[in-house]
Amino acid sequence: MQVIEVKNLKKAFGDNPVLDGVDLSVNKSEVVVIMGPSGSGKSTFLRCLTYLEEPNAGIIRIGPHELHTGGKLDRKRKKEIRELRKKTGFVFQSFNLFPNKTAIENVMEGPLTIYGVTPNEAKELAESLLVKVGLGDRCDHYPSQLSGGQQQRVAIARALSLNPTVMLYDEPTSALDPELVREVLQVIKDLAEEGMTMVIVTHEMNFAREVADRVIFMDGGVIIEQGDPKELFDNPKEERTKRFLTMAE
Amino acid sequence: MIESLEGSEVVDVTIIIDSLPSLLKATIMTLFLSCISVLIALVIGFSTALIRILKIKVVYEIASIYISVIRGTPLLVQIFVIYYGLPQIGISLDPISSGVMALSLNAGAYLSESFRASILAVDRGQMEAAISMGMTYGQAMRRIILPQSLRIAIPTLSNSFIVLVKDTSLVSVITVTELLQMSSLIIAKTFEPLTIYLTAAAIYWILITFFTTLLDKFEKRSSKHLVR
Repeated sequence: MQVIEVKNLKKAFGDNPVLDGVDLSVNKSEVVVIMGPSGSGKSTFLRCLTYLEEPNAGIIRIGPHELHTGGKLDRKRKKEIRELRKKTGFVFQSFNLFPNKTAIENVMEGPLTIYGVTPNEAKELAESLLVKVGLGDRCDHYPSQLSGGQQQRVAIARALSLNPTVMLYDEPTSALDPELVREVLQVIKDLAEEGMTMVIVTHEMNFAREVADRVIFMDGGVIIEQGDPKELFDNPKEERTKRFLTMAE
Repeated sequence: MIESLEGSEVVDVTIIIDSLPSLLKATIMTLFLSCISVLIALVIGFSTALIRILKIKVVYEIASIYISVIRGTPLLVQIFVIYYGLPQIGISLDPISSGVMALSLNAGAYLSESFRASILAVDRGQMEAAISMGMTYGQAMRRIILPQSLRIAIPTLSNSFIVLVKDTSLVSVITVTELLQMSSLIIAKTFEPLTIYLTAAAIYWILITFFTTLLDKFEKRSSKHLVR
């Protein structure tokens, strides 16, 4: 069953085309890693999936929620976009935790505001999610009192709090000190084992090799090549992929 | 000769004590003007800031002109226009209402800019994080952006409030009996300008110190998440 379906996605910033017709289908429980040089459009692609950037053309379906581009941004469409976002957990490179809220309050915020659950229910849910990402003892810490790795794990718990169909990660470890990368990747790996559908933009090749079901190589706003990680890393077919992999080694 | 010298001591304590009840009563008027004006100014400042950030048509232009005009003209001129000028087109306000109107319109323009700057100062990622969860723009503003911007705004708000308390002295020119006007009335009877004006200055100073301490405490409390 396909959970994500993207057809012919296009996006330009002014005269500068960033996405030039991207198609993608992601099956349930599949883990897809997107790689590519900076400026290849991979982050923009991910952001378009939840309409953090509005695409210029194309169709996006996540779960039962399908959005065509170009519609008038009226009340109905705004609601459709919100429905799509509720089902899509998004993890940012810079965490974007709410600095004036504690870890647990960060995780409670979504269920409280979006689903209108009671504070007690939200608290219970948030606690279990923080335990899940290994931060059960940091519930009452403010983001400023946590390391980067811990902040990113809180951010993952926050994204999970709305019970999303898919999780999207935009370079989740790029802002982290090297020794903190592992703990974040471990949490993502655990989620993969639980069967969460995920699309991850990252430069961590070893992680991709270990966890990804499929690796996508993007450049110049299009998908150049995709396939099984072992296949793609050890035996790339396209010249551009080869060049990128040699550079990245 | 010597007796008359003693009688004209530079600062006379008994005069301070005698005039204190009247001065304190006038201080209440100063406080009243400050508090009412700051409340109205907060409403004006906040709503015009939102109008300008959301770029709501037509009102956006009006808000911008309002801020430009108020910030570009002296408060004293604004007071004169409202109290002496408006009656010519049939709008007569009593001195206190005129004073409150001038003070709140004036402070509102400055607060508007503080609010606007503080909302824009909140990291863009905060809005993205909020809407990526499926919040509406309004929910994200209310629950995520505004609480953070308020903390950023406190120092400038506090500053504007201090200026406002001091600016209330300007409405003495339209016969509102606040602290400065009362001082002048007492001096007219006692001929002790130095003593009385210094007393008035001391009262202003105590008032403002009191408020700044209060606002500092509030800022510290709202910044507890930044303390490691």
